[in-house]
Amino acid sequence: METTTNIDEAERASLRVTAQYHFGRYVRTGGLVLALAGISAYFTVSSPYFLTKDNLYNILLQSSNIAIVAAGLTVVLVAAEIDLSIGSIEALSGSIAAVLIIRYGLPVGVGIAAALGCSVLAGLISGFFTWKLKVVSFISTLAMLGIAQGIAFLLTNGQAVAGFPNSYKQIGIAEIHGFPGAVVIAIVLFVGLHLMLNRTRLGAHIYAVGGNAESAARAGIRPGMIKLTALMISGLCAGIGGLIVSARLDAGNGLFGANDLLAAVAAVVIGGTSLFGGVGSVMGTAVGVLIITTINNGMVLLNVPDFWQQIVVGCIILAAMVLDQITKAAKLPGALP
Amino acid sequence: MSVAEPVVELRGASKSYGPVRALRDVSLSLHAGEVLGLVGDNGAGKTTLVKCIAGTHRPDSGEIYVDGVPQQTLTPEVARSLGIETVHQNLSLVDTLDVMHNFFLNREIVARGPLGRSVGWLNKSAMYKTTRETLDALGLHLDPRTPVAALSGGQRQMIAVARAITWGSHIVVLDEPAAALGVRQSIQVLSFVRMLSERGIAVLFISHNMQHVLRVTDRIVVLRHGEKVGDLETSKTSAGEIVTLITGSDLVVPGQEDAV
Repeated sequence: METTTNIDEAERASLRVTAQYHFGRYVRTGGLVLALAGISAYFTVSSPYFLTKDNLYNILLQSSNIAIVAAGLTVVLVAAEIDLSIGSIEALSGSIAAVLIIRYGLPVGVGIAAALGCSVLAGLISGFFTWKLKVVSFISTLAMLGIAQGIAFLLTNGQAVAGFPNSYKQIGIAEIHGFPGAVVIAIVLFVGLHLMLNRTRLGAHIYAVGGNAESAARAGIRPGMIKLTALMISGLCAGIGGLIVSARLDAGNGLFGANDLLAAVAAVVIGGTSLFGGVGSVMGTAVGVLIITTINNGMVLLNVPDFWQQIVVGCIILAAMVLDQITKAAKLPGALP
Repeated sequence: MSVAEPVVELRGASKSYGPVRALRDVSLSLHAGEVLGLVGDNGAGKTTLVKCIAGTHRPDSGEIYVDGVPQQTLTPEVARSLGIETVHQNLSLVDTLDVMHNFFLNREIVARGPLGRSVGWLNKSAMYKTTRETLDALGLHLDPRTPVAALSGGQRQMIAVARAITWGSHIVVLDEPAAALGVRQSIQVLSFVRMLSERGIAVLFISHNMQHVLRVTDRIVVLRHGEKVGDLETSKTSAGEIVTLITGSDLVVPGQEDAV
């Protein structure tokens, strides 16, 4: 009899802890959605243009490339690394597509394949140095930030290479039943990465390596390979983001997309992904992206000068980190793998 | 004692960390179904020896044989494939993962069919069920989805032990497996050790607790300053003798350990 009560108690305690943990995660995500609703309500009251179909369409469209880039970054952060080169890879990807398709008249498909191939290669190179030379990705991707953007400028001679054929422009402007095609690409990518992280062996290993690389290694997982894979995924995402930006702007250049790093980091951090690895989700990132783009959009509508937007986004990153420290202190884990 | 060839054999293994000589020319053998105790003071080289067998460290010189086969490149992956399972002192759990993902770390069950083979789609319900059943059988009543970070020190240790005794098909190395455990759970772990040995699994058991060592082992190897200073049959020794060897009182001089 006595052991039975003990078992029941242990069991109940464990279930309670698990419930608390999951509850904490929902509290955080729920809080984010509430914040988004609050921000939207504020802009709706402040500007008659905010809650219009055209504007909401714009917000989604503007979100799409940052969302794609941020999704890749989420995977890297979960693996306890960082990718600072995503903005530059975006610029590189668009530039490669522009130069091959516009200047050399190659087929659109070839241009896209080359652009994405080089983006993955950029991630592979950063990952390789991180793995083999044990250089932290902060440094290897910082190097790649310079290299990728430099190559983009070289390829385009520092100018905007403009005039894509219509078929390419569709990546940025196509609509599916009135819904922006680029957003559909983003949604497909998010669902794909969410399933990868939560339902596959690779995802389980990414969380394991990010949570404790030494323990993962002792279980026979190769942390270097996992981190390299994460950086390749992030390179691919940045490449896709670059295609969308260049298609929307109808040109490739070393600057197009290069500023997305700040917004992407902000979105990921707001979304509850830990900068220390092992914790995070692309779904949190999705909400984070919407918050960032909504704020940017609202500030434009309210005629806030451009430069303020950067300052505000920077402050949001700081605020999100403070919030995470507080919730951590309250033993409410932000997100569960 | 078995007369068959040892399942693990170290021949003249040495390992240095810079100027520190952690292991000096240590030889030992471990047979199927045998429980070998490894004792020594802090810094005597026990954990280094464990890491060599687990494949996380490689000895600078000397050989490791598993089933008579020399292992030139013993990595954790290789060790695993040879059926060696280790509970390290720091447990090697991933705190951010839940119990079930730790239990199945790098052994995740993938779905049958093309989805499992191509993308490694996990069969989470099977993982949940197996974890649940295994832990229940070991008297550990936990929800497999509980994050490990939320567990107590004893519960964490039991997860690590459960993992090793479930997957260790050949050799199980336990480095201080009962350090964080209460009396009842310690006794449970000792009974697991006997159970493994009855299954014919070779167990290397490291502990500071002399009672545990005397109670569960067949043979005891004593390390001091990285050297093997004793290799005794448990039934023919005493706590006093072992402690003397560990601390190196003047009665025992290195080099004369054969006389002990």
